[in-house]
Amino acid sequence: MIRALAIAAGLVLSLAVTLAVFGLPVGHSMALMAQGAFGDKLAITRTLVKTIPLTITAMGIIVAWRAGMYNIGGEGQFVSGGLAAAVLANWLIPSSIPGWMGLTAMLIVSVVGGAAWGGLAGWLKTKRGVEVVISTILLNFVAIQLLAWVVAGPLKDPAGGVPLTLQLPDRVMLPKFDPQTDLHFGIFIAALAAVLTYAFLYFTRAGFRTRLVGEGERAARANRIDADRVKIGAMLISGGLCGLAGGVEYTGIAGQLGTSFAQGWGFLAIPVALLGGLHPFWVVLSALYFGALFAGSRNLAGFTEQGTTIIYIIQAAAVLGLIAIGALSFKKPILKEAV
Amino acid sequence: MLTVSKITKSYGALRALDGVSAEFREGEIHAVLGENGAGKSTLMNLLAGFTKPDSGSIKLDGKELPVGRPFECKRLGIAMIHQHFTLVPGFTVEENLALAAISGPGPIDSRELSKPAMAQAEALGWPLDLAAKTGQLPVGAQQRIEILKALSGESRVIIFDEPTAVLSQGEVEDLFRVLRALKQDGKTVILIAHKLREVMAVADRVTVLRRGKVVGEAPIGQVTSDRLVEWMVGEIPPLLQKNADTKYREGLRATGLSAKGDRGERALHGIDLEARRGEILGIGGVDGNGQVELAEVFAGVRSYGGGLEWEGRPFDPDSRSPRIAYIPQDRQHDGLALGMSIEDNMLIEGHRRPSLTAGPFIRRQRLRQWSSGLIERFDIKTGSAKARADSLSGGNQQKLVVARALDEVPDLLVAVNPGRGLDVKATEYVHRKILDARNAGAAVVLVSTDLDEIGALATRTLYLSRGQIVEGEGAAALVGGAG
Repeated sequence: MIRALAIAAGLVLSLAVTLAVFGLPVGHSMALMAQGAFGDKLAITRTLVKTIPLTITAMGIIVAWRAGMYNIGGEGQFVSGGLAAAVLANWLIPSSIPGWMGLTAMLIVSVVGGAAWGGLAGWLKTKRGVEVVISTILLNFVAIQLLAWVVAGPLKDPAGGVPLTLQLPDRVMLPKFDPQTDLHFGIFIAALAAVLTYAFLYFTRAGFRTRLVGEGERAARANRIDADRVKIGAMLISGGLCGLAGGVEYTGIAGQLGTSFAQGWGFLAIPVALLGGLHPFWVVLSALYFGALFAGSRNLAGFTEQGTTIIYIIQAAAVLGLIAIGALSFKKPILKEAV
Repeated sequence: MLTVSKITKSYGALRALDGVSAEFREGEIHAVLGENGAGKSTLMNLLAGFTKPDSGSIKLDGKELPVGRPFECKRLGIAMIHQHFTLVPGFTVEENLALAAISGPGPIDSRELSKPAMAQAEALGWPLDLAAKTGQLPVGAQQRIEILKALSGESRVIIFDEPTAVLSQGEVEDLFRVLRALKQDGKTVILIAHKLREVMAVADRVTVLRRGKVVGEAPIGQVTSDRLVEWMVGEIPPLLQKNADTKYREGLRATGLSAKGDRGERALHGIDLEARRGEILGIGGVDGNGQVELAEVFAGVRSYGGGLEWEGRPFDPDSRSPRIAYIPQDRQHDGLALGMSIEDNMLIEGHRRPSLTAGPFIRRQRLRQWSSGLIERFDIKTGSAKARADSLSGGNQQKLVVARALDEVPDLLVAVNPGRGLDVKATEYVHRKILDARNAGAAVVLVSTDLDEIGALATRTLYLSRGQIVEGEGAAALVGGAG
């Protein structure tokens, strides 16, 4: 608990320092950001909307990293999840399948798409010895280019002039709480993903094996645990969660895919997961913090000439600062190898 | 002359060196022989200044060495050739030689800096391709670069840490020629080894360590290999007694068993043996002759060829019968996940138990009860089951491994050097638990390089040499395998 408070204090401090470095009035700017993130109902929904994809992708990162598979490919898995759902949507939209059924099918297919992308990296690592860091980065490029091609070619809305897929009808979109805001039912999916990830890691045999392989692969092997299988499994789950985030973002917010669908959620998931110490509970808080930064900095951007890009700097500063002071040292071996 | 007198060095409760004295003379190849864990490496690290002794002194020509200061020791002429090379694989030979000679900041002229080492190479008649990438050279050639690095610093004492471990037969011969040349040159050559044949071939004098003590020291002409084996591994118990007693029940039976080692080499072949319920089968011999591979096959973690049966049916380590308990040699890596909690480490065994699981789930409450019960019964000294395994002392780490393995009586217990690195009390404790398992009807396979351990526990003993069971009596059986 003390460590959590220290980290929270460090985050506020790093935010203040970054603002000061950019010559912004610290107090006033932070007030603007707080207002943009928590100031009113609208602000809170904005924060939560950003928190949803961050939480789901970060859960995916946790599972892979806990198994010692340093998945940098959340973005590619996110995109391939969205793409898989879009392929299905192309067929669903003109059909007369009930909305809830179509939506469920799209979400399931997004999990499968992401899992395939992650599982491929897992297979390459265990059967071919290709480092996950390398393969997942490369698979990101493949997925992003695939997205660009698909939205301009096979899945392009024939009626539209811009490279976008068909707009999803409301019946297959995730319901919204209030037509005035963007907050959608994906928040339940995010919460469920966090709870299930926690339950998986700490209350199931497969989750235990996942953690064991990450902490002591030799001990796992010496006790007749098939470490390769565990690793591939972790990458399937990790990719599946990142793909689900893509499906949720697609059916919750975007409604159609364009090249801007790859916004970097899968990349941001890594600092979110690291800041939360790769533990689902703390990672939810970490995702909320990053979500609040997004919402808050949008408000800040309205009053200053600095764009929202400043938040990327703040995020990087926060994570690097925490690693440097060793507050995240309980995961030191992972950080040492991967960062 | 390098003199060591009454050196003692402890790591926690473990006495790595206990009152060790030795003399290393000029113009002599002096072998320090002993099994793994006997204290050889500790002694060499002390000589090279990497660690400090708890008591005792090290003198070079009557002057006290600056213990614990490796750079000072190196400057005084003590060089060490590590078993694992300290070369930069991506550098050229010249750059690696220069690297060793760099002193202080400033511009670097590799050609100039590598000159002394080059002169040495010439004197030894070694052709060197200075522009070659070091990592692409054969291992023997890389070792030569290590040796040149040591010689260029005007070293007088050169310590070789298991230099032949990585070499091929031809390269070993070359190395021996170098050792003899160094001796001719009046250097003091210290050779750490555990292969008898090599020591007999090249050394002038030998000191044998066992459990941190000097158990023997003699000119090589005055000892036989049998004597050296006895010094290394202790009193040789009666061997190969073919015990036909029927009170033992059928257990594990291997016929024509073979297996490959980690590097794909042939580690075991043509093994026929039986490990019956109610007995402890000791597997002895000099380390590195297939014992660990054999244990891993029985523990179900190494693939094998040939026949292996449990109670007359094909051996299936993943089935409920036999229930296998495994105490691996390297508890810190193979036994435990040091970064996880004690409870999680118990779960390594527990996650397979029906009583602690419900389908895919773990019953946390029962796990907690089970692990605190084990901590109490096996007397593991810790504040909490949630503490990390690396917070335990070595003895308590081993107790954790033993507790996990022997809480329920297994059908088959495979233990590799279970007493290694433990103090007397912890060793006794572990041995008692192994005897308990035997008495309860387990078939026990005890692999140990410590014949005292085998003598104390084993019902009968087989010896492995180069991956095969050797027939023969006494030390003679082991000498064959010592090469």
